[in-house]
Amino acid sequence: MAITETGRNSDARSRFSRALYDARIRAIVLQVLTFVLVVGTLIWLTNNTMVNLQARNMSADFGFLDVSAGFGIGFTLIPYQEGDTYLRVFFVGIMNTLLVAVVAIVFATILGLIVGLARLSNNWIIGVVARSYIEVMRNTPLLLQIIAWYFGVFNLLPRPRDSVEILNGLVLNNRGFYLPAPVPETGFAILMWVLLTSVIGAIALHIWAGRRLEKTGKAFPSILSGIAIVIVVPTLAYAFLGQPLSWDVPVLQGFNYVGGMSVPPSFCALIVALSVYTSCFIAEIVRSGIQSVSKGQLEAAGALNLPANWTLRRVVLPQAMRVIIPPLISQYLNVTKNSSLAIAIGFPDLVSVWMNTSLNQSGRAIPIVAMTMGFYCAVSLSVSAIMNVYNKRVQLKER
Amino acid sequence: MPNDLQVFVPAPDRPAPLDSTGVVGWIRKNLFQDIPNTLMTILGAYILFVVVGAVLNWAIFNAVWSANSRRECLDAVGRSGACWPGVFVWFENLIYGLYPKDQVWRINVGFLALVLWMVPLWMPRVVSKVAIGLSAVALYPLLASYFFLGGDKGIIWTALIAAGLTGLIWVWATALSETFKGKTIGVLVVDSLGQADADEARQRLTRRLATLAVFIVACLIISSLSFVEVRTRFWGGLFLTLVISGIGITFSLPAGIMLALGRRSNLPVIAMFSTLFIELFRSVPLVTILFMFNTMLPLFMPAGTEVNQLLRAIVAVCLFAAAYMAEIIRGGLQAIPKGQYEAADALGLTYWQTTSQVVLPQALKIMIPAIVGNFIGLFKDTTLVSIIGLFDLMNMARAIGEDTNWLGLFIEPFFVVSMIYFVFCFAMSSYSIGLEKKLAAGRDR
Repeated sequence: MAITETGRNSDARSRFSRALYDARIRAIVLQVLTFVLVVGTLIWLTNNTMVNLQARNMSADFGFLDVSAGFGIGFTLIPYQEGDTYLRVFFVGIMNTLLVAVVAIVFATILGLIVGLARLSNNWIIGVVARSYIEVMRNTPLLLQIIAWYFGVFNLLPRPRDSVEILNGLVLNNRGFYLPAPVPETGFAILMWVLLTSVIGAIALHIWAGRRLEKTGKAFPSILSGIAIVIVVPTLAYAFLGQPLSWDVPVLQGFNYVGGMSVPPSFCALIVALSVYTSCFIAEIVRSGIQSVSKGQLEAAGALNLPANWTLRRVVLPQAMRVIIPPLISQYLNVTKNSSLAIAIGFPDLVSVWMNTSLNQSGRAIPIVAMTMGFYCAVSLSVSAIMNVYNKRVQLKER
Repeated sequence: MPNDLQVFVPAPDRPAPLDSTGVVGWIRKNLFQDIPNTLMTILGAYILFVVVGAVLNWAIFNAVWSANSRRECLDAVGRSGACWPGVFVWFENLIYGLYPKDQVWRINVGFLALVLWMVPLWMPRVVSKVAIGLSAVALYPLLASYFFLGGDKGIIWTALIAAGLTGLIWVWATALSETFKGKTIGVLVVDSLGQADADEARQRLTRRLATLAVFIVACLIISSLSFVEVRTRFWGGLFLTLVISGIGITFSLPAGIMLALGRRSNLPVIAMFSTLFIELFRSVPLVTILFMFNTMLPLFMPAGTEVNQLLRAIVAVCLFAAAYMAEIIRGGLQAIPKGQYEAADALGLTYWQTTSQVVLPQALKIMIPAIVGNFIGLFKDTTLVSIIGLFDLMNMARAIGEDTNWLGLFIEPFFVVSMIYFVFCFAMSSYSIGLEKKLAAGRDR
């Protein structure tokens, strides 16, 4: 009797504790709690914001986008005047950010490749030079480098009259960097079409050569001939069309240079600092990528008597690239994000022109912050989506 | 057995050619192997010569060491040499910011306390290193905050500061007792009070009473101290940089662990929120987050709340660092073989037991280089707070060039400040490489 009673008793008691220890019930309770907590906090924050906005007579709508911004921007890629709308300012900022990112990425990749290979050199002193460069540059803050390049170098350049002329038409002074601008003339459009067609032709040739190699084993020098096509055909067209491209070279007039293209000193400082800083990380990525190819692969290529450039092109690089590409892309994203440091030296990128100037002028904190973050999110999410596809393609196919 | 068995004795090896061994051999192999290699050596030596020569000339041989203004420097050597007096005059500000001069000792004592706290971690016979490390993370900030901030302290804050002091006392009591007596402080206290044979409950009570006694003494010490309040807008220089990065580092590790576990959790709601948070904060630049918090945090809080600017920056840096740390730790979690989870399940461990005893120790260990790399990144990223107007180390250096006496003096302060940053970052990365090797030695045995 006693036993059954105790049994029943513990049954009743344990119904609660059993529920407490039931994984499914726990999961639901935990998730509901988290949801309530997070959403509650968000609602609380939104509520506070509404009250605060009302108290300060501010609003959070996007209506201001059509309003004239009323301030000038020092450097723009797309035409912009003082009376243009805020929406236009947003696009000016985006274009400037993208310009900085693209130019810095190109230079950083070239520099990083050189330093990375130098780091692998079997010459001791070159290795030391490369290693010191990497250690010094990546262990000092990027912002410090940007500001040091700006205040310490590009701002101290001579006045336009005593400019440094690097080559004919490439001029550096404290107003910026001047370079010749291409001026299209009649027939330029045709030239562009010819160029595009020859590039497509070269790519098609390369694909065809690759297929033929797989099928018949006969090699065709598709890269060399492709380069030849891309160079020779447009050159011929250029001569044939009567040289439809001239250069507008900057010249000194009075106190300043006129003509050509120019970028402000802040742009130069930003590009130099971003390229140098990022090149250290790229160099390390390149080095680890090449070192990741196991020695056996090189020995196997040697045993097959592959020529050196085939070993590099067909054995080392495809395997190294698989290791190099993902971190390389994330460095490219970092460059894009780091270009926002432009604000420290007054280059009108998205953050500086939109999140700072426009925000202070219009007071629409919420839409402006949301649009800025939206842009950066869009860039990095789309790049990571592409990366996922790429990673799936190059993953080791294990059999 | 015949005695005259012929034994084959090989002729002794001939020594390697002189020019392939020793110093000569090394030089030949690494510097002058063939013509391209020789050319590279010449190029490398030339680069080294030019760069090192230029820096030495500028920083030492041509430099001006005493002057009253930048004008005097420029008159003496022009731009060919550094003008150090400006940096000397401002040096105290570079380190302590605008902290009142007569209170600077508080900063020194505060950081000395941190050093004292950490020293036992390197003492060989100390066993409770994990506990000491954790106490440094959890209790040291309580003690330091009062030294740095000062001002009125209510009863609760006094108790918290006293808890910090108790922690420091406990750390050293532990360290000394483990080094010299070879037993933990708890056992030592119980033994020396003659309770060694008492039952478990009584021993525990003794230990608690001892802790309480130390805590009360600490309370008395703390309440007898009274420091002038130093508002955070006077904080600056290296001190501010260390405070922000210290808080960021301390916060980011536990927060990152929670976020990473959340993202890998099989509860969809939690996984979704964690992923959203991580992706949002990782895909935007830190500058925008700082700006957002700088302009929006006052809007988010209930009307009338004052949010001080340093706090806004710290919140931004902490959340940003946590998101990055979460992805690093997730990488470590993913590298743990499935068998480890299955083994833990087979032993009947709960989720939290599995995580804290089996998975996390291994995951953290393999991610040490990346975690330290993240700390270094965070330390460098603290320079960004200058953009929202805080005078950290870098902004202080820039301010020198805006001083009327030293107008335009930028390169020299930046040079000094970069060296400070370099020393910190390089030390951290070297330490992490050493730690990695030490841990790998255990694994690759």
